[in-house]
Amino acid sequence: MSIHRYFDRFGGAYVAEVLRRPLEELDEAFAAAMADRAFLAELDTLRADFIGRPTPLLHAANASRENGGAQIYIKMEGLAHTGAHKINNAIAQALLAKRMGKTRIIAETGAGQHGLATASACARLGLECTVYMGEVDVRRQQPNVAAMELYGATVVPVLSGSRTLKDAINEAMRDWAASFADTHYLIGSALGPAPFPDMVRTFQSVIGLETEAQAAEKGLKIDALVACVGGGSNAIGFFSPFIDRASPRLIGAEAGGVGPATGENAVRMTGTAASDGIIHGYKSRFLVDSDGQVAETRSISAGLDYPGIGPQLAALGESGRIEFTGISDSDALDAVKFFARTEGVIFALESAHAGAAALAEAGKLPKDAVVIVNMSGRGDKDIFITSPVFRPVQWRDFLKAELERLESGMDIHVFGGKK
Amino acid sequence: MTKVPVMAHLVAGYTSPEISLEAARGLAAGGVSYFEVQFPFSDPSADGKAIQTACAAVLSGGWRVDDGFAFVETLRSEFPGIPVFVMTYANLAYKIGISAFVERSFRSGVSGLIIPDLPFDADEGLAAACDAKGIACVPVAAPSMTESRIASLAALRRPYVYAALRSGITGSSTSIDDGTLAFLSSLKASESRILGGFGIRSGDQSGALAPAVHAVVAGSVFVDIIREKSGEGGEAVRLAVQAKAAELSNPVQR
Ligand SMILES: Cc1ncc(COP(=O)(O)O)c(C=O)c1O
Repeated sequence: MSIHRYFDRFGGAYVAEVLRRPLEELDEAFAAAMADRAFLAELDTLRADFIGRPTPLLHAANASRENGGAQIYIKMEGLAHTGAHKINNAIAQALLAKRMGKTRIIAETGAGQHGLATASACARLGLECTVYMGEVDVRRQQPNVAAMELYGATVVPVLSGSRTLKDAINEAMRDWAASFADTHYLIGSALGPAPFPDMVRTFQSVIGLETEAQAAEKGLKIDALVACVGGGSNAIGFFSPFIDRASPRLIGAEAGGVGPATGENAVRMTGTAASDGIIHGYKSRFLVDSDGQVAETRSISAGLDYPGIGPQLAALGESGRIEFTGISDSDALDAVKFFARTEGVIFALESAHAGAAALAEAGKLPKDAVVIVNMSGRGDKDIFITSPVFRPVQWRDFLKAELERLESGMDIHVFGGKK
Repeated sequence: MTKVPVMAHLVAGYTSPEISLEAARGLAAGGVSYFEVQFPFSDPSADGKAIQTACAAVLSGGWRVDDGFAFVETLRSEFPGIPVFVMTYANLAYKIGISAFVERSFRSGVSGLIIPDLPFDADEGLAAACDAKGIACVPVAAPSMTESRIASLAALRRPYVYAALRSGITGSSTSIDDGTLAFLSSLKASESRILGGFGIRSGDQSGALAPAVHAVVAGSVFVDIIREKSGEGGEAVRLAVQAKAAELSNPVQR
C-alpha cells in the first residue's frame, strides 16, 4: 500500500524516513479497522453514549427573522462531549490506537479543544496522554489546560518558534519519531501526512451524515453549508457527504484576523499571501515568506490561527467546489453576541467565523432558502477572551477580586470573603 | 593510525555570520572531510533542541537563504578541498522551485543536498535536478526501514546515503550496538558511500562507527560548543571546535 495519496496536487506524505513505518502501520490499521464490524460497533456505542450523538440540528428561527433572508439552521456540534467536534476524531483515533496495541497517545493542540478531547478519550479508554501546546496558547486557553490536567493528561508548553499550534505540531512529530513503538500521534485536524487527512475526514464525516439525515427528516432542501476552517477537520467532515454532488454550495470561513496584511490574519485560500508549500509532512497552501519560512499568523481564535490548511480543502478550494471567505475578528465577535441574544446559543470563537459567514450568505438569499452553519464548538472556553472585550470593567473587577481573595487565603465558600 | 572521515554539521549563520565562519575554520583545522551546512527553517521538525534553537536564533536575526549560499561560497573559496553539502527542509527548496534551488546550489559550489522531508520516492524531482547538475542527492535512511524499502533505495545507486542511526531526532545520544551495525551493513549493499550519524559526540563513538561507514556525521555536538563558546569570541569558538573535530577524526585506537 502506498501512503503517497493526493487530492489533485495537494497531500502526500513528505516525512523524514524515520516516520514512514509508523505511517504505513497506521494506514494498514485504519483500513482494517474500517472493515471490522466490531470496531465500528464499539465506535458507534462510544458516539452515542460518550459523545452524546447525534447532536441536534436547530432551526435558528429568531436569528433568521432578524437577519432577513434565508432560514438558518445550526448543527449543534458544540453539544458534543468536551464542547466541540474534536471529540469525534479523538475518540475514534484513540480506539484505533488501542486496537494497534499502543499504550500512549500524543497530541498537539491550539485552542485546547483537541487536547481536551484527546485527554478525555484517553481517560475513557485507559491510555496515557501527553499534549503539546504552544506557550502562548497555554496562557490564553487556561480553562482547557486545567481540564486536560484533570483528565490526567500531561500538558507540555512548547517554547520554540511562535509558541503556537504549528510549533506544538513540530514538537509532537519529534516525540513520535522516537516513540512510535508504543505511541500514537493523534493529529487533530484533516492535515499532516497521509493517511491522516483521509482518516480525520472519515471520523468527522459523522457531522455531515447526521446533518444530511436530519435535513431530510425535516424536509429541508439545503442551499448552502457553512463551516469555519482552521486545519479544516470540522469543515471537511461536515461537507464530506456533499462534495461529489453539484449542490449545496459549500462555504469555508477562514480567520480574517485584524486586517488584510501578511501577519494580520490566517487566510490561506483568498488573498495573495499564501503559496504552495511542503510543511508538516504534506503539500498544501501555506502562509510563508518569500524564502519559504512559515509566516506569523493572527486570529482572535486560537483554533483558526494556523498557517496551513488541510490538503483536500485546498484542492476543493482551487477546483471551486468550496468557496472561501475571510471573516474578521470583530465580525466573529459580533456573531457570538448575535446568536447568543437571538437563540440562546454561544458559539465558540472559531465557529463564530462560520456564523458570521452564514449570516452574510443568508442575507442574500430568499426566505425559503436554507443555510446550515456548523457550530463546531461552544463558547464556554472563550469566556476569558470575550469577557475583556464584551464587559471589560466588570471582568477586570472580577479578576482583581479573585486575585486578592487567592492571595489573602480567603475561603471561597464565604460570600464577601472571610479568613 | 587511520583517520576517520568526519562530516561536520554547522547551522549557517550561528551564532553570527562571523562566528559560523570561525567555527568552519576550527572544523577544517581539526581535520574534518566534509561540511554539512544546515539552512535554518522555521519549522525544523526532525531536529532536536540544540539545532532547533540555533535555527530560530539565526532566523530571528533576519537570515535569508541568500545568506546561506553566500556562506557556502565563502567556504568553497577558503577551503576548496572540503566538499560542502547543504541540509535543509523541503519548503525552502520548494518555494523557489526544486530545480531553481538545485541550480542555485550548483552555482554556489554545493556538492550534495540532504532534504529529509523529500523522501526518495516522493522527492518532487530533486534527484533528477541534482543528476542534471552533477550534485549528489543524498537520501536519508532509518533503522525502521523494511528490507524491501532498503532494496528500493539501494537500486537507485545514489553516490551517498545518509544513515540516521536510530529513531528520533538529532541531538539525543546514540549507542552503537549490533542493531546499528546490522542496519549499516544492509545499507552497504547499496554500494553508496554511507554517511552515518545522529548523536555522535565522542572519539570513542566515531572510532566504533568508522569501520561501518564512509564518514561519521556529527552535528549537535558542534552546535552545543558554538553556543557555549560564542560569548568568548571567535577564537575561543574556533579552538574548541577544532579540538572536538580532531577528537572525532582521530579517535584513540581501541
Ligand atoms: C471549536 C473549534 N472549531 C474549529 C476549530 C478549527 O479546527 P478545524 O478547522 O480542524 O475544524 C477548532 C480548533 O481548535 C475548534 O476548537
